[in-house]
Amino acid sequence: MKLKLVLAASAAAVALSTPALAQEIPVGHLADYSGATSDIGVPFGQGVADAVAYLNSQGGVNGKKIDMDTVDYGYQVPRAVSQYKKWSGGDKVAAIQGWGTADTEALITFVARDEIPYFSGSYAGALTDPNGKGERSTKAAPYNFFYGPSYSDALRAMLMWAAEDWKAKGGQGAPKYVHMGANHPYPNAPKEAGEELAKELGFEVLPAVQFALTPGDYTAQCLTLKDSGANYAYLGNTAGSNISVLKACDTVGADVQFLGNVWGMGEDAMKAVGSAADGVVFPVRTGAVWGDEAPGMQTVQAISQSSSQPQDYRSVHYITGICSAYYMAEAMAWADQNGGVTGPNIKEGMYQKKDWVPAGLEGVCLPSTWTAEDHRGTTTVNLYRARVNGPTEGAVAELMSSDAMNLEKVTTIDVPRKPEWLGW
Amino acid sequence: MTAMTPSGDFKTTYRADTTIFPTVTSRNFAIVGIVLLLLCPTFMDRYWLSILIQIGYLSIAALGLNILVGFTGQISIGHAAFFGFGAFASAWFSNSFGVPVFFAVPLAGLLTTAVGMIFGLPAARLKGLYLAIATLAAQFIIEDFLARAEWFTGGVAGTMAEPFSIFGFVFNTDTRYFYVVLAYMVVMYVLATNLMRSRDGRALVAVRDHYLSAEMMGINLTKYRTMSFGISSFYAGIGGALYAHYLQFVSVESVTILFSIQFLGMIIIGGLGSIMGSLMGTVFMVMLPEMMTTITQALSGSSIDLALGLQDNIAFLREMAIGLVIILFLIFEPDGLAHRWKQIKAYWKLYPFSH
Repeated sequence: MKLKLVLAASAAAVALSTPALAQEIPVGHLADYSGATSDIGVPFGQGVADAVAYLNSQGGVNGKKIDMDTVDYGYQVPRAVSQYKKWSGGDKVAAIQGWGTADTEALITFVARDEIPYFSGSYAGALTDPNGKGERSTKAAPYNFFYGPSYSDALRAMLMWAAEDWKAKGGQGAPKYVHMGANHPYPNAPKEAGEELAKELGFEVLPAVQFALTPGDYTAQCLTLKDSGANYAYLGNTAGSNISVLKACDTVGADVQFLGNVWGMGEDAMKAVGSAADGVVFPVRTGAVWGDEAPGMQTVQAISQSSSQPQDYRSVHYITGICSAYYMAEAMAWADQNGGVTGPNIKEGMYQKKDWVPAGLEGVCLPSTWTAEDHRGTTTVNLYRARVNGPTEGAVAELMSSDAMNLEKVTTIDVPRKPEWLGW
Repeated sequence: MTAMTPSGDFKTTYRADTTIFPTVTSRNFAIVGIVLLLLCPTFMDRYWLSILIQIGYLSIAALGLNILVGFTGQISIGHAAFFGFGAFASAWFSNSFGVPVFFAVPLAGLLTTAVGMIFGLPAARLKGLYLAIATLAAQFIIEDFLARAEWFTGGVAGTMAEPFSIFGFVFNTDTRYFYVVLAYMVVMYVLATNLMRSRDGRALVAVRDHYLSAEMMGINLTKYRTMSFGISSFYAGIGGALYAHYLQFVSVESVTILFSIQFLGMIIIGGLGSIMGSLMGTVFMVMLPEMMTTITQALSGSSIDLALGLQDNIAFLREMAIGLVIILFLIFEPDGLAHRWKQIKAYWKLYPFSH
């Protein structure tokens, strides 16, 4: 009798526990918390992690929890690839939240073969062509997604703005444009696209200036920049090394309008650079920044408050991380209702909506559309100008509220979705 | 050959003195060890297999460095560059010329040998610190070449490498690739052991022990020093090629000077001038970060973590601990793991009459 009871109980326990196990969606999360891009890798990675934790606390994806494995790979491609091998074998993950350009591009073929949707922190143009049909695209990237304008489109938008800006300022002759960045896949990604459009727009394109991804003394680069007489300079690196450049160029006295890339500027960088960051124009990927009024900001606030590492101010990179996680989760929800949360279904899920904004993030994530032919989620670029009006001692939250620093919206540019720009 | 070494056994021939296995038992142990390794994929999960594969290709490269540093008494702080060159060369052979990977690996080894001999030429003239700086130059020249030669390496973006295959059979899983690496390891280690029993091997050791005496005995110093660089590069090239076809992606980022220093760390910890030490040092250096990861993961969220407010810094704790362990090791075990292993063996052999 007792034995029967035990058996029945254990059978019931198994029956109860099995579906619970099956209701987890394994997801890999590659983050850079200690490498060359950790200055922005930390807020973005936290945004992704906090958003997933919040989603789980709200019931997950149709009741299924996302089981996310966060790994710090130190911005080293080999570590990313070997970590990917762990995720893709045995218990395969349903999707991956990735990070850098070099590792994401290295994994394009792998994720396509293993059918694992890969949401990267890299916005390289090469990731936007799912079929490899673009004139200039190098290979098909069917399983790569990212939220935001591609590096190339963001740079194109800034160049379009710069051309207008030059006229408005009454500049004489052809403005001079220069690309600055490390010799690394990430700063290199939009280099040719930018230089080609700059020529079309009537810029004189100067030879690129190189500076490393890590902070250092870049006085020599700034002297070159000053001597060349450049008017507009694109900063291809992340905030950390851009800080060094902006400070050095300020010291040298180079009078240049800097154009940061999406990762090249942010509230933390503004605080670190101080007055030298004043005037830098850069694209912000969300419709609202911390402190703005938008329906979706409530969700962002809630996510931030539920975080294991609470802070009273969240940078643009953190909010973008939230969007990246939410698009993935909604695609998973669609996949769940249409045959199960598998890689190919999540990919299909990404194609379901036009001008898609994840529920709860209205006004925060910009309407995006992915199609089976075009993975340029959005080509709308919001340009902001970093404003530093005083000394930047103190916490970012105080500086932003006291108006010592602020983000000033410059304009919104709709980059045309030209077919010849696909995948490039 | 006897099962155990009898007491008072004095060797009367050179042949007996240079044998690889002094007793039948030691040979049987080696065979059993390899058979056990062959069975590993049946009970090990992917994680452990990937660690073993990593130990495999790194230990081949480390052995090469040990031949150069431990046996010939030269120094090289550019070993990772040769490792990387081999990796790119193998990918290049198979991608650009359609050479089957089975042949691309040894070909990459040979190409790396040629490059190593070129950079080894200064060794004929330089000694000590000056040689160290010359090899440092090799590290930077090769690293920069790899970052810029797009036709060869794909530039900074890196290059894909085909999975290992022979006659249509593809070794694209860890289980299969494990056997490839194991086969290479056995062959390369036996080759090195035999080299050290040959005339050339003894010449290398003579160059290390006293180069002037060696020269007076008729050993061509230039020849043997350059040769040693060549052999060492060959091992690095093979190790690198195996690495390339395992990850199936090669990037110049991985072949930094830090990696070169790691190779030096492996052979110093394992034991300079010891074949087995190269392997033991590699096992140590590969396992150490993994163990530290486990420890830091266990630590994260614990009371210690909260008390010290470590949070994100826990990732750095790992790197610091690795450095600390290496320093402690050098202080308390300066002769390397191979030496300790010998002492442990001697202890049990002579037990309980060790004195």
